[in-house]
Amino acid sequence: MLKIVLGIWLTIVIVVAFAFPIVPQPQQWFEYPVIPGLEEKARILFFHVPMSWTTVVAFFVSMIYGIRYLKTKNLRDDMRSVSSAGLGLMFCVLATVTGSVWAKFNWGSFWNWDPRETSIFILLLIYGAYFALRSALEDEAKRATLAAVYAIIAGVTVPFFIFVMPRIMASLHPEPIVNTEGKVHMNATMLIVFLSSLAGFTALFAWMLQLRIRLARLEQHYYQKEN
Amino acid sequence: MYDFLSGHALYIVLTIVLICWFGIFFYLYTLDRKISRIEKQLGNMS
Repeated sequence: MLKIVLGIWLTIVIVVAFAFPIVPQPQQWFEYPVIPGLEEKARILFFHVPMSWTTVVAFFVSMIYGIRYLKTKNLRDDMRSVSSAGLGLMFCVLATVTGSVWAKFNWGSFWNWDPRETSIFILLLIYGAYFALRSALEDEAKRATLAAVYAIIAGVTVPFFIFVMPRIMASLHPEPIVNTEGKVHMNATMLIVFLSSLAGFTALFAWMLQLRIRLARLEQHYYQKEN
Repeated sequence: MYDFLSGHALYIVLTIVLICWFGIFFYLYTLDRKISRIEKQLGNMS
């Protein structure tokens, strides 16, 4: 039932993200304001930003389960941690690719080493190394412990790379919508659609994580039966 | 293609949405394949 609600929710978000017009002076409830320099491309906000947001949530969840594993030494927590990190990496790749396509048409090149691009690239390397570390270790308990410690250290760096670094350095990234002044320059409609998209993608992540954990349990069950 | 997209910004956003959904679909597709493989292996065992 919840999956159907999620499907309907995200469908509505996509429809209203595209269907509502962008006008200079919004008078009606179904109009978005013009964002200078972005115009129609401002609609990327409803998709690209939730990708980055879900990346942060996934890496944070991975860190939480890493902490739990170190406390409980329960391999199921390690399974949850790695599942969340895998999903986070996927959303991170999607955020990078979508941002890169947008950059080509707004800045003229796919990659500009903008602070946000640089920080997301570093995050990709950090979590790529996390999976390299896991694959290099044979012993299950040792792998889980080292991966948990790594997930915690990596998780601590995420807010710095996503929220702090791009704000302390000069950036090409559009700031007028979600900016350093802490003011949100969206009208109520745009804000509602944006927050609905964030909520929808976070719920999608939760569902995908649940699927991934169920699969990992099945695999564990199979290997236990085999041995 | 580039000229067309440069002149029709809405299609850039559409491309971005399609990339998001293709990525998510591909991930779910690989999950589905893994589940089928495990089910088959468990079925062979019993």
